[in-house]
Amino acid sequence: MNNDESINEHWSTRKIKGLVNDQDGVLDARIYSDQALYDIELKRVFARSWLMLGHETHIPNKGDYLTTYMGEDPVIVVRQEDNSIKVFLNQCRHRGMRLARDDEGNAKAFVCTYHGWAHDIAGNLVDVPFEEQAHCDHLDKSKWSPLQARVETYKGLVFANWDSEAPDLITYLSDSLPYINTMFDRSEAGTEVIGGIQKWVIPCNWKFAAEQFCSDMYHAGTMSHLSGVIAGLPEEMNLEDAVIPTKGNQFRAKWGGHGTGFFVDEPGIMHAVVGPKATEYFTTDPAAKKASERLGSDMLGERMMGQHMTIFPNCSFLPGINTIRTWHPRGPNEIEVWLFIVVPKDAPDAFKAELRKQNIRTFSAGGVFEQDDGENWIEIQKVLRGHMAGKMTLNAQMGLGQSTQENSNYPGRVGDVYSEDAARGFYTHWMRMMTEPSWDTLKPE
Amino acid sequence: MTLASFSAESLLKDLASIQTQHEIEQFYYREAWLLDNHEYEKWLALLDEKLHYFMPLRRNRVKNSRRDKDAVPEFSNDKEFAHFDDDITAMKGRIRKLLSDYSWSENPASRTRHTVSNVIILGNEDTSTIEVSSAFLVYRNRLERQVDLFAGERRDVLCRADNDLGFKIMSRTILLDQSTILSNNISIFF
Repeated sequence: MNNDESINEHWSTRKIKGLVNDQDGVLDARIYSDQALYDIELKRVFARSWLMLGHETHIPNKGDYLTTYMGEDPVIVVRQEDNSIKVFLNQCRHRGMRLARDDEGNAKAFVCTYHGWAHDIAGNLVDVPFEEQAHCDHLDKSKWSPLQARVETYKGLVFANWDSEAPDLITYLSDSLPYINTMFDRSEAGTEVIGGIQKWVIPCNWKFAAEQFCSDMYHAGTMSHLSGVIAGLPEEMNLEDAVIPTKGNQFRAKWGGHGTGFFVDEPGIMHAVVGPKATEYFTTDPAAKKASERLGSDMLGERMMGQHMTIFPNCSFLPGINTIRTWHPRGPNEIEVWLFIVVPKDAPDAFKAELRKQNIRTFSAGGVFEQDDGENWIEIQKVLRGHMAGKMTLNAQMGLGQSTQENSNYPGRVGDVYSEDAARGFYTHWMRMMTEPSWDTLKPE
Repeated sequence: MTLASFSAESLLKDLASIQTQHEIEQFYYREAWLLDNHEYEKWLALLDEKLHYFMPLRRNRVKNSRRDKDAVPEFSNDKEFAHFDDDITAMKGRIRKLLSDYSWSENPASRTRHTVSNVIILGNEDTSTIEVSSAFLVYRNRLERQVDLFAGERRDVLCRADNDLGFKIMSRTILLDQSTILSNNISIFF
C-alpha cells in the first residue's frame, strides 16, 4: 500500500491514517468537520457499506414501498411479487427526476412525473411515451433503468449496498450477531414495526451519533440524562434515590467497526426509560426465559439491562427499549435521524402499547432522553468551526488495553461497560475504509 | 344574524357566543404567556388529570383520486409512532425535568414566543366541554444563534374550570406543519 497515495487534493492515505490512533486512544477532530474527508466518506464508506433502510414489516405486501436514503442517495425499497425486496435509486435515468416523491405507499408502477417514463415495481424501465415517434432508432430500455443496489436482510432488518465487491451481510456483521439477536431474535416470531418513521434534523456530524450508540454508556451513567431519569421517577422518588447502574460490559467487533455496551443485572436505566412493567418483559417474564433458551444464555436473554449498539456505519438501536435509527449524513455538519421502533411480534398488545408510549416519551425528537443528546452534539459541531478547536486531538482512552477475549459470559472482545474500546474499533474501521480502496485488503480474514 | 332574527333572544345568544370566543382567546394568550415565561407549574395546573397531549407524525403522500385516498393517512394514528403521546403522568415528568437544573436542552432555556390565532370554536356538544381549533406560530431562539420556527394547528378539548384562567385543557392534538422536524429537538410545548 502506498501511504503517500493521494486520495483527493486534500488527503493522502498517510494523513488519514494519522487521524485515528487505536493504540494510544487519540482522535483528530478534523474527522468530524472536514468537507474533503466527508466527500471521501460518501465514496469509500457509504457507497461500500451495508446500510439499514427499514424493516420487512414496513413493506409486507407486493408493491409496498418506502422511500429512504443510502447516504445522500435517495432510494426506493419495494416488495416484489416473489416476496423479495428490491432497492433502487430514486432517480429516473432520463433527466434525473425523483421517481417517488412521497414517503411510502403501494404502487403498481413508478411513473416519472416529468416525461412519463414508467417503471415496474422492480425498477425496470418498461414504457416511454411517444417511443416510436421520438426514439426512432429504438431505446434499449434495459440500459436505462434506475441503479439497483444489493439487498440482504437480517432478522427483519433490510440492508442495501451499492458495492458488488463487498462481502455479504452476515460476513460484514462479523462476530456481532449475538448482540444484535438480543433485540431481533428473542423468539421464533421475531419482531414487527410500530408504524411510522419519525424524522428530524440535527446539525452535527453523523459519527457523534453512531459512536455514542456504539460505545458510550458513560454519558448515560453520568451527566447527559440526569433529567431524563428525573422525568420518569415516581413522584415520591428523588434523583438521589435512583439507582443508576454501574456494572456491565462493552463489546468491540473483531472486524467491521460494530460495537455495543450494556448494563448487567442492574435495571435502573431500563426502569427510567421503559418503566418497570416493560422491563419485566425483557428480564423476568417467561418470554425472557424463552429468549435465553433461544439465545443460548441468560446473560444474553435476561440479564442485559439496557443495551446500546451500532452496526457500522450508521445504524443504531437500543435493545430492551427497541428504538432503531439510521443517521443519514447531510454533509459533515448535519444529519437526518430516521427512527422507528420494533416490538416482539408475539408480545401481548398491552406490552406493545406500553413500549410504544415509553419510546415516544423518552427516545424521539421530543423524548426526555433524546432532547439532551441533541444538545451535546450540536454544541460540539459549532465549536469545531474554530481554527484551533477544529484540529484538536481528543481523548478516547477509556478502557485502553483492558478488553479481553476471555469473558466467560459474553463472546468476543469484551471489556467494561465504561470503555471506549468499541469507539476505537469504530474509528479504526472507518480509517480502514477511508484508506483501503480494495476489498482484497479490507475484507475480514 | 338576519333582520328577521334580530330579536332580543338571538342577540343574547350571539353575545354569549362572542363572550365565549373572547374568553377562550384570552385563555390562550395567557397560556402562551405562561409558556414563554417558563411558568411550567402554572401551565401544568391548566392541564386536566385526564390529559391527552398528542402530536402525530405527518407524512408526505401523493393523492390519487382513483385509489383509496386513506390508503396512506397523512397523520399517524394512536397505534403508530408519534412526536408526543402523553398522559398527565408523563407530562408531570416533563415538567419535573424542566424544573431541574439538569435539563441541558432547556438549560439555558429557549426563548420562545407563542403566537396563537385563528381561534375557532368547533363545537359545544355537551355543555361541559368545548372543542376549539387554533393556529400557532412559535418562534424559538436559543443559545447564541439557534433559531427554529414551528407552525401548526392545535385541536383542543377544553372544559371550564374554577381556576385563574377559567379553563382546563383536557386534550390537545397538535398538527405541526412539518413532516421531517426541522429542529434538533422539540424541548418546548405547543
